Amino acid sequence: MEITKENTQKMIDEVLEAYPEKARKKRARHLIPNDPDAGSTCGLRSNIKCIPGVMTSRGCAYAGSKGVVWGPVRDVINISHGPVGCGQYSWGNRRNLTSGKIGVNNFGMFHFTSDFQEKDIVYGGDKNLEQLLRETRELFPDAKGLIIESECPIGLIGDDIEAVARKMAEELEIFVVPVRCEGFRGVSQSLGHHIANDSVRDYVLGKRELKEKTPYDVAIIGDYNIAGDLWASKKLFEEMGLRVIATWTGDASIEDMALTNHAKVILIHCYRSMNYIARHMEDKYGLPWVEYNFFGPTKIKNSIREVASFFDDSIKEKGEAVIAKYDPLMQKVIEKYRPGLEGKKVMIFVGGLRPRHVVGAYEDLGMEVIGTGYEFAHSDDYERTFPELKEGVIIFDDATQYELDEFVKKLKPDLVGSGIKEKYVYQKMGIPFRQLHSWDYSGPYHGYDGFSIFARDMDMAINSPTWGFVKAPWKK
Amino acid sequence: MNNQDKCPMPTEEWINTEEYKEKNFARKNLVVNPAKGCQPFGAIFAACGFEGTMPFVHGSQGCVAYFRNNFSRHFREPFSTTSTSMTEDAAVFGGQANLIEGLKNTYTLYKPKMIALSTSCIAEVIGDDLNAFINNARNKQAIPDELPTPFASTPSFVGSHITGYDNMLKGILSYLTKDKKTDKKTDKINIIPGFDTHVGNLREIKRILNLFGVEYTILADNTEYLDSPLTGEFDMYPGGTPLEETRESINNKATIALQRYSTKKTITFIEKFFEHEAVALPMPIGIGATDKLVMEISRITGKEIPKEIEDDRGRAVDSMTDAHQYLHGKRYAVYGDPDIVIGVVSFLLEMGGEPVHILCSNGTKKFAKEVEVILESSPYGKEGKVYPGKDLWHLRSLLMTDPVDMLIGTSYGKFAARDADIPLVRIGYPIVDRINLHRYPTIGYQGIINLITWIANAFLEKTDRLSDDEHFELMR
Amino acid sequence: MRQIAIYGKGGIGKSTTSQNTVAALAEMGKHVMIVGCDPKADATRLILNAKAQATVMDLARESGTVEDLELDDVLMTGFKGIKCAESGGPEPGVGCAGRGVITAINFLEENGAYTPDLDFVFYDVLGDVVCGGFAMPIRENKAQEIYIVTSGEMMAMYAANNIARGILKYATSGSVRLAGLICNSRMVEKEIELIEVLAKRLSTQLIHYIPRDNVVQRAELKKQTVIQYYPDAHQANEYRDLAKKIVENKNFVVPTPITVDELEDLLMEYGFMEIDESVEQAKVAV
Repeated sequence: MEITKENTQKMIDEVLEAYPEKARKKRARHLIPNDPDAGSTCGLRSNIKCIPGVMTSRGCAYAGSKGVVWGPVRDVINISHGPVGCGQYSWGNRRNLTSGKIGVNNFGMFHFTSDFQEKDIVYGGDKNLEQLLRETRELFPDAKGLIIESECPIGLIGDDIEAVARKMAEELEIFVVPVRCEGFRGVSQSLGHHIANDSVRDYVLGKRELKEKTPYDVAIIGDYNIAGDLWASKKLFEEMGLRVIATWTGDASIEDMALTNHAKVILIHCYRSMNYIARHMEDKYGLPWVEYNFFGPTKIKNSIREVASFFDDSIKEKGEAVIAKYDPLMQKVIEKYRPGLEGKKVMIFVGGLRPRHVVGAYEDLGMEVIGTGYEFAHSDDYERTFPELKEGVIIFDDATQYELDEFVKKLKPDLVGSGIKEKYVYQKMGIPFRQLHSWDYSGPYHGYDGFSIFARDMDMAINSPTWGFVKAPWKK
Repeated sequence: MNNQDKCPMPTEEWINTEEYKEKNFARKNLVVNPAKGCQPFGAIFAACGFEGTMPFVHGSQGCVAYFRNNFSRHFREPFSTTSTSMTEDAAVFGGQANLIEGLKNTYTLYKPKMIALSTSCIAEVIGDDLNAFINNARNKQAIPDELPTPFASTPSFVGSHITGYDNMLKGILSYLTKDKKTDKKTDKINIIPGFDTHVGNLREIKRILNLFGVEYTILADNTEYLDSPLTGEFDMYPGGTPLEETRESINNKATIALQRYSTKKTITFIEKFFEHEAVALPMPIGIGATDKLVMEISRITGKEIPKEIEDDRGRAVDSMTDAHQYLHGKRYAVYGDPDIVIGVVSFLLEMGGEPVHILCSNGTKKFAKEVEVILESSPYGKEGKVYPGKDLWHLRSLLMTDPVDMLIGTSYGKFAARDADIPLVRIGYPIVDRINLHRYPTIGYQGIINLITWIANAFLEKTDRLSDDEHFELMR
Repeated sequence: MRQIAIYGKGGIGKSTTSQNTVAALAEMGKHVMIVGCDPKADATRLILNAKAQATVMDLARESGTVEDLELDDVLMTGFKGIKCAESGGPEPGVGCAGRGVITAINFLEENGAYTPDLDFVFYDVLGDVVCGGFAMPIRENKAQEIYIVTSGEMMAMYAANNIARGILKYATSGSVRLAGLICNSRMVEKEIELIEVLAKRLSTQLIHYIPRDNVVQRAELKKQTVIQYYPDAHQANEYRDLAKKIVENKNFVVPTPITVDELEDLLMEYGFMEIDESVEQAKVAV
């Protein structure tokens, strides 16, 4: 099928036929053929409630707060407050690497919970929470903060975790942060990001002073150090002569987060999950922020120049030196993998920034993105997405399992990049797949170091000899 | 408050001490690294083994996203489940509208033959009445009259995933077998596997029953669903126990459950309503429990134990005697779901191994008593101590203060095993850091050979790795 | 086994009425169980002649989980073999009392409290159907008949009408029915006529009018029902009559609740010039 606006709209209409009428009308507003010059959202609806029963990929506010924003902070203890499940299923599932000694001053790999029982629902959990915080402080004395992430029942029974947090912060002399991220709030993990941003704003930011300041102090916002992404990025900024005073929240220390307002510029990678705090720092402290994209050499080069433009010539020169140092290495990577990937078609369905940010990296390898979509984006994400893609390419918001399956069957991509829930569906279809949330247990993918791994992984997925055996030789 | 105030020992060392262990065991409210999930998670596992069945959770969508992720990580297979995507308004006004629309969409879009409903905590706390809502959905023609819609109430703050499995299975059986009882019983027997995530186990049971020449119905057979062939096409509902066969199960001769703690309510229900012999056996891990299973099949069906099975047994005993020297006298820590723990402890005793720390996050006091009786029955059980309701941070204290040679449990144990510098042999749920282990049986005579392979070879790998040049030998 | 739920405004004398009625049923040789569904846990003390019994939730809190509880711990036997259980729950303003009701009933069901020899199970439920938890006793396969205790005071009637609205929701999808109003007299003028009209509007009956008698309070001070404390009292016969009427009752309906305006009109019609005063009194009672 040739990709044109008309053909894509026709495909969308065909796929929608399977829905009951009410659901069809609602879903139709979430699927459009791309118009790169649209400049607005072209009527695409996003960030609204899922339709019940359609199998959405979306998670909840808890996933956004605990899983995304607070989970990667290395020196705090995230307490999943409520029944055992939420913390259990989000335990170690996002690959946010953290430094330090696990269980001593590095807690990202553990699951802490109040493990609510029926009696806690009936009698309320505030008293036990106080005691729990005391126990946590005693048993993990090197922790720098205790973060209380509330699960659905907490909000329903009306527990007052804010009061507990205020009282215990004073008693324990440590950051105690209540995060009201009950799973029924909002329509996806996106509200959880916002709630968590606000909790950092209200309980952490500005509470520490930066002792020695330099004109080159920056903070990296919205890099969660999946498989070491942050480290691969931070290294490049440091080579440019910048000093990274805080990272949010990949391998973060809450102490550094508290002094982020002293940075000169905020560098933001995942806009979706952390634009809130960046805007807050802009309003309150007059801090400029700049979005960057560290996927693939083309976008990295542009981003280094963009970031350098906020600083003096010495940084600009060093930035050029970084590009000059790595570009030849990247050309070698491209020379090695591009022949096996040229012209291959990719479909993407992920979360915060990747549905648009990885497009350039695929293009560096000669590949073409023929469909992309977000689980929980807002209209400002789509506005940033349309210009990245060709006209007519399908854009889907909060796609259901059914829609994705049908689009894949019709468009026959050579590679699908999405999450674990989707992975095995497409592999059963014989279609190569890479998880683009967790980098499929590989990575990092950010920065120059990341691109060589990214290229290798995409080649490995598409050109694995194993796909050649899907059909038994005796079957025609 | 801080231990450094009292003693100069670094936290890193302090957490390994007897003093820390005492404090650790004294905590009452904090739970760290529990090895258990919640009820609806077990419920959707029970549902997926029936023909064409869509598990459907009434509650927040985030729970379902987590469940699907989790199962897909362990099985490396697709896992479909829909939810009613309840949000704040539904939490206040009740979830009926979501449930009716959700049933309609799930039915229309994914064409299941049965929708099995369970609940997440939000629906349970506000007290939604599933039965009434489903009837109203039918009255409004959201789903056809003939579509089976069994349901179970599965609050996540009661019991664990094995409770949810039990509740859902009972719900499905009571729904499907209603008014199906006739005067005549068949010669078939029903097999209930329990919450067992080693897909190889069900295949092994089927092999044994086939060797007997016994006709059987598995309630429910999820081997295809959780281990389906890659053919180039995605089937949302591969395999599964046919619904008609499930309806008829009430007229079969007897029911054998292969786990006891995960099937309590179901077995009680069957005894009362199926009016046939229902036996819940200890999970057939190890020779004693397998012998018992084989003899029970023979007694109930009146069929002689076939020569092939006797030969299987002989080979298992052969492998036990061949390898006893590698397992005998070694000290072990074991944790996991209650049925698995009892199986592994019994097996270790049969090998002359010494189970020392036996921990079960979802075990009750009754469970602890049962294990104590098993330990007392063997001279190798003298040192064994049972810890019901404890977590893996408790386990770590035990491993550091009273060391053992090996930990047997799930992937969650890898942190404690690493700190204690002992091998971890992976059995149970989840296994997310090794390939294919869940495809191997751990039960039956074949399971004995596999367990010995894993345990003995883990010890031998360690011996080779730690041997200096003088002691690095060819033979072991 | 007939399962019966008793609803009514707080302070209306619901627990006293149901315990006296149950005692009368037991006297007639019926096997009865009472399940108290109110965190106050005062639905069984007159039967047990005790201050208050240990509740399911209190015991669950002590042992950590419901799973470690035994039926014998929560099910007591009182006057004439009446079985008693209380759900229990939190102090006002914390936690979730409704969930306590769900927990308790589930526990009793799963652990075999509903034995086939029982003729009646009575649920004594907190004031109003404020959330799903307090509707638990009227879910499918539980109570199928509901009696509302009321009086001629406006607030009590207002609550009765509200409860009828709650029942209507469940009656349309299940088999639960309104079985009658019980008037626990507050000596309001024309009380019987008023409740009879309300009953008619709700499509049900005034099953019994219980006059006011201080003997009830005297018996309560001794932690007993009138039936037990002073079996020859006239008031004891009132409860016996009510019990008999319940045994023989076949008048089960889907209620037809009225609007607040209609209710107020009704009160005006019966010449209540002192409506305001009655409202004030009711507020004091709450």
